[in-house]
Amino acid sequence: MLRPTIQWLVVPALVCSAMPVHAVVYLTVEQAQVAIFPNKKLTSADVALTPEQRKAIAKASDVRVRNLELKIWRVEGGGWFILDEVIGKHEFITYAVGLTEDGAVKQIEVMDYRETYGGQVRDEKWRAQFTGKKHGAKLKLDDDIQNISGATLSSRHIADGVRRLLATYELVLKK
Amino acid sequence: MNSCSRSETRRCRPLLGTFVEIKATGLDDDALNSAINHAFGQIERIQSLMSVHDGASEISRVNAEAFLGPVKVSDETFAVLEHGLELALASAGAFDFTIAPLLASWGLLPAYLRRRAHGNWRDVVLQSGNQVRFARPVAIDLGGIAKGFAVDAAIASLRGNQATSASVNAGGDLRVFGPDESRIHLRHPVSAQPVSNPISLRNAALATSSPCFTRRQWRGRAVSHLVNPFHRRAIAESVSVSVRASECWLADALTKVVLTTDPATAARLLELHDAEAWILSA
Repeated sequence: MLRPTIQWLVVPALVCSAMPVHAVVYLTVEQAQVAIFPNKKLTSADVALTPEQRKAIAKASDVRVRNLELKIWRVEGGGWFILDEVIGKHEFITYAVGLTEDGAVKQIEVMDYRETYGGQVRDEKWRAQFTGKKHGAKLKLDDDIQNISGATLSSRHIADGVRRLLATYELVLKK
Repeated sequence: MNSCSRSETRRCRPLLGTFVEIKATGLDDDALNSAINHAFGQIERIQSLMSVHDGASEISRVNAEAFLGPVKVSDETFAVLEHGLELALASAGAFDFTIAPLLASWGLLPAYLRRRAHGNWRDVVLQSGNQVRFARPVAIDLGGIAKGFAVDAAIASLRGNQATSASVNAGGDLRVFGPDESRIHLRHPVSAQPVSNPISLRNAALATSSPCFTRRQWRGRAVSHLVNPFHRRAIAESVSVSVRASECWLADALTKVVLTTDPATAARLLELHDAEAWILSA
């Protein structure tokens, strides 16, 4: 008997019984800096946006500006390294963008990715799992999960985030 | 972990309209990072050749000009077109990459892919010297196969750069190589929760297609990226199909065959390619 080539699995949609949280840490800040700007010296150049700048960036990029404190580094010899976070429907993504001297995207690296489903984001207990675990919130199943799920949706959130950062460059960083 | 053991490096970039995660082991940190950069570079190259969202891509040039006369393309694009036509022939059209104009008419692909007349994969003619010509004014979208092909290219690059093991996961289309077995949990198409029984994967690829994450309403009916080419209607059921195969382009394309064709044809094609499918429904 040959193995069956097609297996049907009928599985009811579970309603939040197992609470899967999939968190992956890819890079620390230092590692992301090396990945995007190898052998370059980076100098911290954080920016606090004014309410006017926030409004202008939102208008120029058509993306809401949630955070006024921007984590930015100036790259020796030209360029910028910006740390940012986007919040999707079910996930938080921290990522880094490297900009060239003239403000073009050089490289984007996802630094960490935390996802959850079904309203657990508002659950204080769930939140507590992340407290104090800046780089270590590895709540992972023993095995890999195939999908970085909702990936299509949340990669769009990154695209929005990058558009917001490019507007930030134009309006705030560019000399 | 002893001092001789070499670490695993894991990176992720937004590419191919999704997140691409690459894991690799077997080299020192610098060599791993450089191997992973090279693999991401391969994916970027394939994206720049084959994305219909990029008006300057090679496939966009084919779509704009191949009805007027033969268009010469890269080896990679030609290989993907060959793969696609072979599978279209073997599946009697259940896999058809000329469904693009219909998706464009539903607003799921750029409007410049709309066409007045219906054509199909038989209108795509491949000629010697990597030349492509259209017998009718069709348009091609390689979305159902190129993502898997990009994963294969990244794996080939990591292998060529002497990684011991690696995995490349492009939003659910994934391939692994190396001595170890990976255990992969499928996600439920509705709840997105991992389904309990893992699938084992060793030197193989696994791809999943489901209308659940892309379907939307268009003029009062549900549409998705997944279309039955025979009656030109979207597949909008709460179902997901996963296929394990030797290469990722094949796994990727076979998911569409299993979704659109009858079970007997699907089983025959899966067997022919030594592949297996899992169908998850709510």
